Amino acid sequence: MDNRSRQQAPAAGDAQGYCQTEIEVTHGFGLHARPSVTFTRLAKSFPCTVEIEVNGSQVWLNGKSIVKIMGARIRRGSILKIRTRGLRAAEAIHALQALVERDFDEEKKHGRSA
Amino acid sequence: MAGALEIQEIQGLCASPGVAVGTVHLAVEVAADALPPGDSPAADREKLRRAVAAAIAELKALVGRSDEESAGILDFQIEMLLDPVLVEMAEERILAGDGAALAWVAALDHYIAGIEEAPDEQLRARAADVVDIRNRVLGALTGRAPEDFAPGSVFVGKDLQPSLFLAHDWTAGGGIVLFDGSIASHVAMLARSRSVPMIVATGRFEVADGARLLVDAKEGRVVIAPEEARIREAKSRMAEARPAEPPRAGGTIETADGVAIRLSAIINDPLEFGSIDPSLFAGIGLMRTEFLMTSPTDAFNEERHYEIYRQALRWAGDAPVIVRMLDLGGDKTLPDLGARKSESFMGLRGIRLLLARPELARLQARALLRATAHGRLGVLLPMVTVPDELDAMSTIFEEESAVLVRRGVQTRMPEIGMMVEVPAAALMLDRFSRSAFFSFGTNDLAQYLAAAARDDRSVAELYDAAAPAICRLIAGGVALADAMKRPVGICGEMASEPRHIPALLAAGLRNFSVAPNRLADIRSAIGGLYSDGLAAAEKS
Repeated sequence: MDNRSRQQAPAAGDAQGYCQTEIEVTHGFGLHARPSVTFTRLAKSFPCTVEIEVNGSQVWLNGKSIVKIMGARIRRGSILKIRTRGLRAAEAIHALQALVERDFDEEKKHGRSA
Repeated sequence: MAGALEIQEIQGLCASPGVAVGTVHLAVEVAADALPPGDSPAADREKLRRAVAAAIAELKALVGRSDEESAGILDFQIEMLLDPVLVEMAEERILAGDGAALAWVAALDHYIAGIEEAPDEQLRARAADVVDIRNRVLGALTGRAPEDFAPGSVFVGKDLQPSLFLAHDWTAGGGIVLFDGSIASHVAMLARSRSVPMIVATGRFEVADGARLLVDAKEGRVVIAPEEARIREAKSRMAEARPAEPPRAGGTIETADGVAIRLSAIINDPLEFGSIDPSLFAGIGLMRTEFLMTSPTDAFNEERHYEIYRQALRWAGDAPVIVRMLDLGGDKTLPDLGARKSESFMGLRGIRLLLARPELARLQARALLRATAHGRLGVLLPMVTVPDELDAMSTIFEEESAVLVRRGVQTRMPEIGMMVEVPAAALMLDRFSRSAFFSFGTNDLAQYLAAAARDDRSVAELYDAAAPAICRLIAGGVALADAMKRPVGICGEMASEPRHIPALLAAGLRNFSVAPNRLADIRSAIGGLYSDGLAAAEKS
């Protein structure tokens, strides 16, 4: 479930970092193929663990696993909780939340729209 | 003809219009019980890992030979196979005694069944992609090549996987009939962009391999053993329909008092051309080009740019296409574009960066100049603040045009317009006499106007509350543009939100670029309003 094989963070500024946020998915097509590629690629770019929970299910899924995310059948209007733990946790949660808010950049990197 | 077949008609849904006649190729359905039994768990795990690695390599090779749209679809499959979770699901079954092939198929089928139950059509349609992954790895495990079929035949089966579609030669015609399938599937998207007639959701029907089939896709009708007259009739109907460009009924919508409002599409990625019907839009009001930045090799590949702009113009037919030049900087730069640590929205971004590092702008300008031969192309400059920036970019276009002419390439100068997203520019549109048109980019205009960064949630309320100020600024800008007799429109997210439409109409806007998935909402919002933004119901 969790990528515990990743090295635990050495003592650093936010080594004990633990962050959580809640956000509504507003992308018109939920979180299917392309948005899930974008989300998991971004999640994998951070050393901390990333987990998501959908609609208060109490089940936390590895946010770096596209298989888990596809299987979670997230759709538009779903409430997504994201939690991160470890190195650069705060940065990761900020970046992932911004990505969801930007509707996954419609899968591509236009960090700003019109 | 194999015996006197009875003429039979089956009804389905049109996933891609057109008429095809051909012999049936019945899809082979994988029977899991016929799979080879297991070895030792350790050997089976090794076999599976090798097969997955082989599948990834095959897909990567296929990506290399594919256009952008297809590559995006295959990319998703690669990402799924790279995820260890998929193999782990199968390994659990191997440990329980299944052979590698059976474990793989069973694990994937279980997962696919979950996706097929999704409440959302878009998500359900992804099941075919996972079937594709399943079959590719299975092929690598059993040494069976994926089934191709004779060119020109009609594929009939439960569903069709994207990679099978991509491996097949469609130049000889043919069509697709699926018992299940989905209009939202990747393969339907591909069929539409390659003009392969396709019908889905017919339900299971009996037909012999090799029987003759007519696919009259627009009508959603499949005819087994059709008579010649029936074929002629379908083909002539298609021929009649072809020369007449479909009326762009969706391109305009009238307000309750009869004022025409133009609705153009916002395109973020050329992948969208396959799934969006151009006849619903008055062309493309904003085509972003930042997707090219996901790969530095694409970003600096003039041919790649040119090919995509051509694709956009082909999609739009005789309607205009407005391409925005690369809008980079601050939070997103190419590694080799002098990335700065600045997260500021007010630094070297948009046209400032294009002019500071003109090599990329020149390349993009050349590709755009070459593309002008293929349709009505306009160029939109991001984040213009002062007229000098517009002049400098116009000079770049003139210089690159001269370069192309020396090379013997025919070009036209495209119309060059500007995004209005910096308040200093919005207040002074009359100074931008060289701008052929104006397009309000309200997302950034709002954050600069409210001094509230759009990516900072702690000030999100202020950012939202800036809407009235934006509309007042737009109204002033529209008046200036009208006086200059220059077209003016909006391409920010506000225009895709029905609640903002009354105020935007009241500000005098008549050209809206909207997100394709919001089109229906925006049309119905505008249809219920007077051109001054008041609700028709209130006036009666």
